[in-house]
Amino acid sequence: MEVSVQFERKLKPLEILSRDDLYNIHASTLEILEKMGAKVYSDQALSILEEAGADVDRKERVARIPQHLVEEALKKHRRVVRLCGRNPKYDVSLDGRHVTCATDGTGLWAYDLDTGERRPSTKEDVAKSALIVDALEGVGAYYPLVTSLDCPVHAHVVHEYEAAVNNTEKHFISGDTYLVEEARFLIRMASTVVGGLDELRRRPIISAVACMMSPLILPPDQTDAALEFAKHGIPIVAMTMPLVGSTGPITVAGSTLIGNAQILALNTVIQLKYPGAPVIYSSYTLSMDPKTGAFSVAFPEATMVMAGHIQLARYYEMPNFAGGTISSSKVPDEQAAYEKALCGLMSMLAGGDVCGTIGLLENYTVLSYEQLVIDYEMYTMMLKMIEGIEVNDETLALDAIYQVGWEGNFLANKHTLRHVEESWVPIVADASSYETWKSKGAKTVVERAKEKVKEILRTHKPAPLDEDIRNELNEIVAEGEKKIPKKAAKAVAH
Amino acid sequence: MSEEAVLSEIISAVKNFDVDAAVAAAKKSLEIGMDPIKVIEEGIAKALRDVGDMFERGELFLVHLAAAAEAAMQAIKVLEPELIARKLERKVVGKVVIGTVEGDIHSIGKNLVATLLTANGFEVYNLGEDVPVEKFIQKAKEVKADVIAASALLTATREVQKDLAEAIRKEGLDVLYIVGGAAVTPEWAEEIGALYAADAGSAVKLLTEKLSKRGD
Repeated sequence: MEVSVQFERKLKPLEILSRDDLYNIHASTLEILEKMGAKVYSDQALSILEEAGADVDRKERVARIPQHLVEEALKKHRRVVRLCGRNPKYDVSLDGRHVTCATDGTGLWAYDLDTGERRPSTKEDVAKSALIVDALEGVGAYYPLVTSLDCPVHAHVVHEYEAAVNNTEKHFISGDTYLVEEARFLIRMASTVVGGLDELRRRPIISAVACMMSPLILPPDQTDAALEFAKHGIPIVAMTMPLVGSTGPITVAGSTLIGNAQILALNTVIQLKYPGAPVIYSSYTLSMDPKTGAFSVAFPEATMVMAGHIQLARYYEMPNFAGGTISSSKVPDEQAAYEKALCGLMSMLAGGDVCGTIGLLENYTVLSYEQLVIDYEMYTMMLKMIEGIEVNDETLALDAIYQVGWEGNFLANKHTLRHVEESWVPIVADASSYETWKSKGAKTVVERAKEKVKEILRTHKPAPLDEDIRNELNEIVAEGEKKIPKKAAKAVAH
Repeated sequence: MSEEAVLSEIISAVKNFDVDAAVAAAKKSLEIGMDPIKVIEEGIAKALRDVGDMFERGELFLVHLAAAAEAAMQAIKVLEPELIARKLERKVVGKVVIGTVEGDIHSIGKNLVATLLTANGFEVYNLGEDVPVEKFIQKAKEVKADVIAASALLTATREVQKDLAEAIRKEGLDVLYIVGGAAVTPEWAEEIGALYAADAGSAVKLLTEKLSKRGD
């Protein structure tokens, strides 16, 4: 089976919400935004909304947004969002028809590949995970799974980007660009790589997450950073993270609604200022364990909210990035396997455009290199499934069936040879006999994945950046360390 | 057309799993009066070894191996009448009587072993499936076999492999006895005093090695 950074979905997405349900959620969203409004901590965003006719209470920092503004914004966003790679062969087109896979994060811990120890993450983890992503054919974008805690933390964004862009030719998604200053530095670095701001607008090789707060808050710095990115045509991953039963209502529909309201509020601000800006609808909902108050990304309620959000994004003709192979397990164990498989498949069946979270444990906070390869394998299985079943004369194999007859087999048949390359082939799953498995050391999937990771790290060589670009990036990083406000460090442990 | 050109044609036909091209090239070799032994040994068998190596390295799928073996077999069939006419005998590595044991009708793995053995210079008598113990013994005596190979997919039918082992001992046949199939483990093979191979490729290797030692 040939896998590249984008894959055509042929299976019709599941209809989890009916047309009436979608209309109902949409209408309720408009009502909330108009009646209750959103808390908007960004002065710039408040002014944008006020000038457009929203009812703004400056003292309370609340903007009550008329329905027509939200509706008009939904007509303006880009329908097809391109996530470009620094090598154009890795460009991904999010057009509702193609799917891709991405990492996300941004976590603070990594399982050391050699010692197995769970330790604070480093810049080298960013570099190594980027290199692995570069090697895994189907992954279309790199989002730092963890941050570089061994560097000055307020400058983590520039360090993460430097480590990533030197190790992958694929698109980069910045997960934690919380300040305008960070956004500016990141934009400078990316434009250095492509050769200027105009070229960056034409081929955005980066995108950035803007995470809203629940129940209904547009935070100050993130909103301003989002506007800064939008100014340069860089895609915004508008992310909602309600906690079902805590910062979101306990019902799936209620949390779906509150998350939707956040995303439409941010989209309205962005489209008012920069009509046509590329926005990606992103949901990273969590559930609460009702017994303890602990939260998990992978409880079924959270997964269903994300599935609802995916369908809403499709309803709005906005690319989506949600869910994926998520788990709250601490280690790459059975819990990780079933949570990741079930939640990942659900988001893909629901119509997910980007399958995220490969390689992370503990709700997006811990990198496991082994898990990265295992989750990627799950993603490729899902790809085979969303191919659906093609039915025509050739696939029905009537000629082959007549040739082989009652006895015999299809092994050496020409029809088999024509199609065998389409077969899904495992990377780390083992289908051999007990004897063969035993004779090869009776290794678990995690051990086999570790071998695969080490092989990639040993052999994979992405095309390096030109030396002068590398040096220039290095200088920008040094300057970033001096000029990015120290308060950027606060955001890291969100 | 030169002999070299025909050889390279037949090699590429087998390597491209192309039965029609392999048969056509075999016919061409006869037209230009080539020694069929040379066609087999320097053409067909060589190509098949390469395919086998690629399969072992994970570069090709099982169906490629099966298809290459099929192309090789069909080409050899074209050459056989000429072998007989010229009273030539292929240098046979060994004679193998092979079958799936009584009560078991599974054939794919066993046939793959038979095909690969044939392609690698063995003379193979494939008795098919659901083969009673007596039939193995009778055929082995008749052709003076060097090897008896018995396949079993089911745990229930692998017991027959044990019966066959006892029959071989009782008859005092001087043969290598090898067992395979999904129900078979090395421990089981050892218990019944048989050789074991996990797959077709290793069966060919093991038997070639054992028989060459025997010949020394």
